[in-house]
Amino acid sequence: MVAAIGGSGSRPMDFNQSVASNSVRYEDVSMLFPGNRGAPPTLAIDRFSLDVAESEFLVIVGPSGCGKSTILAMSGGLATPTTGKVFLGRELITQPGPNKAIVFQNFSLFPWKTVVDNIEFGLRLNHVAAEERRHRIDYYLPVIGLKGFEKHYPRQLSGGMQQRVAIARALVLRPRLLLMDEPFAALDAQNRTVMQEELVRVWSEHKPTVIFVTHSVEEAVFLADRIVVMTRRPGRIKEVIDVRETAGAQHWRARPLDQVMRHNDFQDLRARVWGLIRDEIVIE
Amino acid sequence: MAILAVLAAWWLVTTVGMVSPFILPPPAAVLEAAQRLADGYLGASLATHLEASLSVVLSGYIAAALIGVPLGILMAWIRPLAILFEPLVCLLRPIPPPAWIPLAILWFGIGLTGKTFVVFISAITPCLINAYVAIKEVPPYLISAARSLGASNAALLFQVAIPSGLPMIASGLRIALGTAWATIVAAELVVATAGFGFIIMSGYRNFESAIMAVGMIAVALIGFLMNLIFRKIEKHVIPWGEHE
Amino acid sequence: MLGVSIWIFAWWGIVAAFEVSPDFLPTPWQVAKNLIWLTSNSIGGGTLWVHAGWSLLRFLSGFLLATALGIPLGLLMGHVRLARNLLNPLFELFRNIPPIAWAPFALLWFGASFGSQTFVIFTAAFPPMLINAYQGIRLMDKGLMNAARMLGAGPVTILFRVGLPASIPLVVAGLRIGLANGWLALVGAEIIAGPGALTGLGFLILVGQENLRATLTIGAMAVIGVIGASLDYVVRRLEYLAARCK
Repeated sequence: MVAAIGGSGSRPMDFNQSVASNSVRYEDVSMLFPGNRGAPPTLAIDRFSLDVAESEFLVIVGPSGCGKSTILAMSGGLATPTTGKVFLGRELITQPGPNKAIVFQNFSLFPWKTVVDNIEFGLRLNHVAAEERRHRIDYYLPVIGLKGFEKHYPRQLSGGMQQRVAIARALVLRPRLLLMDEPFAALDAQNRTVMQEELVRVWSEHKPTVIFVTHSVEEAVFLADRIVVMTRRPGRIKEVIDVRETAGAQHWRARPLDQVMRHNDFQDLRARVWGLIRDEIVIE
Repeated sequence: MAILAVLAAWWLVTTVGMVSPFILPPPAAVLEAAQRLADGYLGASLATHLEASLSVVLSGYIAAALIGVPLGILMAWIRPLAILFEPLVCLLRPIPPPAWIPLAILWFGIGLTGKTFVVFISAITPCLINAYVAIKEVPPYLISAARSLGASNAALLFQVAIPSGLPMIASGLRIALGTAWATIVAAELVVATAGFGFIIMSGYRNFESAIMAVGMIAVALIGFLMNLIFRKIEKHVIPWGEHE
Repeated sequence: MLGVSIWIFAWWGIVAAFEVSPDFLPTPWQVAKNLIWLTSNSIGGGTLWVHAGWSLLRFLSGFLLATALGIPLGLLMGHVRLARNLLNPLFELFRNIPPIAWAPFALLWFGASFGSQTFVIFTAAFPPMLINAYQGIRLMDKGLMNAARMLGAGPVTILFRVGLPASIPLVVAGLRIGLANGWLALVGAEIIAGPGALTGLGFLILVGQENLRATLTIGAMAVIGVIGASLDYVVRRLEYLAARCK
């Protein structure tokens, strides 16, 4: 059940071995935050090592403050690990860029831009030609169900619609890696289920590698190829669970959530992951 | 309702003779004074007074906006500029604009230059401070989002920080316009040969309280209209903002 | 502090380099020397202490009057609909008049006296106090009010035990704006009232201007700035404490 934890850190990277171009490798990554005003520094992440395969859907779960979001920020180039390295394919991740698109929890849409302008912004920044921009936007607008809302401003949209725009803004760049930081946490339970199913549908079109951070065990079990369970601070890998072994050939996420939830296997796995997390929760 | 009650009370106390018209002019006298003003008062037509006040306000205000807003933005973006200019702002800000009026007269004489200078001083503070705070307080998640989309430093400033701060910059510009208007009236009360502050002060010197009242009503009306026009423009230029 | 001294030296440097006449732009040292001289010598109504004292006294009388009327009235308008409907239109009518424009009417009604300046400061400090107290009640978390009602509190108890404490941060913020507005208006009122009053920091500014002595004018401006900043600092401390209590 437990998959091999790749890249022990001491082993040198062998680029001639099958390093797929969209795979992600974490090599002995640690993050130490300096303490504020004389407070001792905090070790947020402790020697995190993992290999994520190309087109894999990896979900990271763990208790609050386990450093999940920090891992995501480092994968996106928004934070630099104190020690260790993160690779996308053969490229060392040092700065943010459109090949590692991020979907944020609070949507982070630009309030002064309309739906279309928000989606187009990344394309413009990367000098994509007008015709190609038009082409990609025309493709994604119906996919995310926002045809007819092109000229709306974000504040005129519901939370679910705003997050669809944010997802389209990321996907339209055709990223190699899609990073999602609790993207559905701000949505209500019903919208959340719909969005999970839609994400799967949109993602399967091009299948970028996904690293998805969440609090929700159910979301993790439903979406993931593999689930990484983190310990509480300092964040370490507690266990890596390969969902595919249980879900079988037709993955759970390919079916509607309400059907999948009735499976005993689904419920057992959910209980198991929750048990792992519960041990890490301390009530302060 | 309440406004009608006040108008009625005003009419009553002044007409019945409880208050001398010298202290508080009756409504009829105010209307008559308004007529006199419209026909031309103290050797100047209404248009001349209007032009005197507005030209000074606009030139001082526009200069303040053109210098204050870019300076505030640059101070927020470039750290050494903030270190250099912050103390100057801290030194000058506590001095109320009216306190500059006599110094402006001393430096530039009683002409338009001195008044423009005082209006400039009064208007630059809100322009600069709002622009500075607007850029400083751009939500970090928008910066992160733009960087992850591949934005360069220049794109971050011009395509993220400035548009994001625009509503706050606009409200600074609106506050500055109100301040500039109040300042020019104050300056004209002290020394002027035309303008609405001058009208009010002349009314006072000639014991014509009706003229004073008309002057004040005109000042309020122009202030109100300037604010209204500004808000209309603001709504047009910043369609994404949350307007009151 | 370093930045401040850079600018003061720059001022000094300009005066020295271009040999500017001290009657036009004096050096910081000349301004300071003149102020020190004024602490023991009289101009007009008295020494620097007398002028600053009078200005502060005028300011405080107008400011306290605005506080005593503005805050209760604002709370009342926030809490009682009838008061709101009655007073709001009046308030909207008068708030477009810049406070300093009241100065001539104040002179007409009260003469060039304590009363006229108190009145002008009042008109400047009153609106922000009223608005903030009003907003403090209006923007209060409705859940708090409902919780108090559920616990059996009447409207009066709600106003004093829930509304008042919940609106303290905004009320104190209103005090700070009122303070700045009032201090600004005081200087304006003193300058518009003219040099006939013989006291006040605004009087000193005017005397400096009329006798072409920039040293005195700039010195008095500096004192006004320092007092204004100190008053602001005191209220900011108060604001900080109010925020911490919450």
